[in-house]
Amino acid sequence: MADRIECDVAIIGGGPAGQAAALALSGHGLSIVVIDEQPRPGGQILRQPPARFAVRGWLEERSYRPLKQLLGRFQALDDIHWLGSHSVIGLQRGSVMAMGPEGVTTVTARHILIAAGCHDLAVPLPGWTLPGVYAAGGIQAFIKGQQLLVGNRILVAGTHPLQLIIAAQIVAAGGSVAAVLFAQPRSAMVAALARHPLAALRRVPDLLATAAALRALARAGTPIHFGTSLEALIGTDRVSAAQTSAGTINCDAVGLCYGFVPQSALPRMAGAQMRPSGPAGGWACGHDDFMRTSVPGVSAAGETTGVAGAAAAAAGGALAGIGIALDLGLISLEAAEHAARTPRRDLAQHRAFAALLDAVADPRAYFPAPSADTIICRCEDVEQATIAAELPVCQSANAVKLATRCGMGACQGRNCEPSLLRMMAKAGNVPETGFTPRFPARPVSIADLLPPQ
Amino acid sequence: MERADVAIIGGGLVGCATAWRLARKGASVVLIEAGDINAGASGQNAGSLHFQIERRFLENGDALAEQGAQIVALSRHAVIDWRTIERELETDLHVAMHGGLMVAETAEQVALLEAKAARESREGLTVRTLDGDEARAMAPYLSSGILAANFSADEGHADPRAITPALAEAARGEGAQVRTGTHVRAITRENGRFVIRGNGLALSADQLLVAAGAWSADVCALINIHMPIYPVALLMNATERAPPIIPHLVQHVGRRLSLKQTHAGNLLIGGGWPSRLAQTLHGGFDLSAKAQMIPESLTGNLLAARDVVPGVTRLNLIRSWTGVTAITSDQLPIVGPVPRMPGLWVAAGGSAFTLGLTFARLMADAMTGDEADELSLLSPARFEHLNGFMG
Repeated sequence: MADRIECDVAIIGGGPAGQAAALALSGHGLSIVVIDEQPRPGGQILRQPPARFAVRGWLEERSYRPLKQLLGRFQALDDIHWLGSHSVIGLQRGSVMAMGPEGVTTVTARHILIAAGCHDLAVPLPGWTLPGVYAAGGIQAFIKGQQLLVGNRILVAGTHPLQLIIAAQIVAAGGSVAAVLFAQPRSAMVAALARHPLAALRRVPDLLATAAALRALARAGTPIHFGTSLEALIGTDRVSAAQTSAGTINCDAVGLCYGFVPQSALPRMAGAQMRPSGPAGGWACGHDDFMRTSVPGVSAAGETTGVAGAAAAAAGGALAGIGIALDLGLISLEAAEHAARTPRRDLAQHRAFAALLDAVADPRAYFPAPSADTIICRCEDVEQATIAAELPVCQSANAVKLATRCGMGACQGRNCEPSLLRMMAKAGNVPETGFTPRFPARPVSIADLLPPQ
Repeated sequence: MERADVAIIGGGLVGCATAWRLARKGASVVLIEAGDINAGASGQNAGSLHFQIERRFLENGDALAEQGAQIVALSRHAVIDWRTIERELETDLHVAMHGGLMVAETAEQVALLEAKAARESREGLTVRTLDGDEARAMAPYLSSGILAANFSADEGHADPRAITPALAEAARGEGAQVRTGTHVRAITRENGRFVIRGNGLALSADQLLVAAGAWSADVCALINIHMPIYPVALLMNATERAPPIIPHLVQHVGRRLSLKQTHAGNLLIGGGWPSRLAQTLHGGFDLSAKAQMIPESLTGNLLAARDVVPGVTRLNLIRSWTGVTAITSDQLPIVGPVPRMPGLWVAAGGSAFTLGLTFARLMADAMTGDEADELSLLSPARFEHLNGFMG
């Protein structure tokens, strides 16, 4: 069933960026629609349990406090049209198509803000398509949203320090972590930290959160290994062990944590200028100093503009809201510049810390090696060797897609594109773009796109 | 400077097939492609092998319908070319010629079908006219709203991802040079030969074939020739994979619809619904930028699909894309030598998936001195008046 909503501002994403933008725009008499895939606001960082769940001690760690305050202020707004449980599948200048439980809604808006967040980098290695192998962020989402543990003995492995927090959350939820493996040596992480001591000091709460996670893991007796890389995941109908550079580790679930990439499908679909994101790969949406993209009437904030964490997202969202208020003629340039000072300063500071984190977590030297028969594109079951055979004759990601079906499936290449671009770069070809973005960003039922019969 | 008998600009189906045919006849061939092989309409179209007269020829009066009917003579060649190509190339190209249905939903459309079938039989193409129940007996997936259908036993589909790369490989195997990532910047005539320059390219050739799809008019402009070829951006849609249910090519006589199921199981839904071409800053179309989907095209195309094959509503749409193809000012492709400029050949203007192998075979014959009368209908000579002050 197809439906229509007209509004002044459509905000895609109910995480910190979308919340902050809505708060900046609220009170001006605008009609504002906030669209999110989750039923309730919060984003991935504060993924809320269903309203009828009572969860004791939900995300009690101190580092979540400012975000919970922001969420509380957002939820108290009475001039926002919350369109939860809706996935945006299409975006053009002035219009957003969102798919929900009742079908597709087309939202037309004078201004659109893309605050769509990021997702885990998919990392192919032998055995990674076995049941029980997750993106670490997925394991965390199960815990935050449903208090569910994905296994009895979970191995967490990668290069990103966030895996310490996720391991501690598994333990706090009553689970058992087989081990936390960092592929890089501890010395590499310390050296990266030491290169940017000021940025590190400004973000003491985050460092303290990591320290608290380390203490919790120590109390639980969870081994943490540095310089230990994953080589293969083993199992028949489910993962049962991991082969690592330090031997075999038994487990019944694995969380891979090599970094995060921006949700880039929507700005790319709208034709916005993108730039390569951090060392994990992917594409970040470019913007000006009021978070406007290169497409008139479309702004971007949060992880879509580069993975820099929830605090940066909130600052960017506030700034985008001020920019939209300026563009809609609600405030003067002078007032906008004045209001923008604090969020701009915050954004710069948080991004400096994100750059430090990028350096600490840089996965590029530590990616596991897929074997010839490792599947790179899971939607279309395209193996490493099939892609490798085309690299000498294909200059673009699109050409590889056409030749091999890599990226042609339901996820639109969201998962395999970074792997493919890494393979191309290794073969000496660094493409300036990835796959051409296509509608719909999520698979959508044809019945939902049509008026009723 | 390099020398060749023939230079071909455009690494699509026609360019690669012609390179292969010519090289096999012993000609030295250099094929020049700006991007990757198969990156344009050859790889982006939905792979229909359609031999019945197209709806677009039927909806604009008798004269055009008559012209559209003449192309049937070439279709008869194309049936044979497609039935033999997998054997010739010794490759599985997912050619599936299990027949095609062109359906009607209204009495008016039924009359159109009958007139079409009469025209086709005059041109030697056999189609059967089925009533609704007969059509559903053959194709149980069809809606109860289908009143009649024309069935052509030879229609079907092939894999656009597979055919052109296979032809390029075959061309290389016969000694043709294939240069990708090579932009042609200038074409001049020197001592009766064509001199083609681009990045890393300086080539002198006896003959030049322009087979650059929607870009062909721009390539011809490099040599000061007008070619009335216009870009067209068409929407296509793919569903998730489904178990085999539709062996046929399904088209509509009165609505824009083509529908088929690929060897992988995806349903491809298209039929000529427009997308919006990007514009340059100075006006005019920018073929290098992504065309924009028109929401009404998506809905219109899926509605036509639902009305003909109701089962599509149970599937997920996973991808909509736009391919840029070309149309000429009289809708017929332009294929053959340009009288104004001896040695210059053009093959562009649409229909080049179904008919491309045939265009290539006949052109390769003609370029090496054999007769190829079948192409006279499509000759660029019909636009010679545009080039009276050119060349």
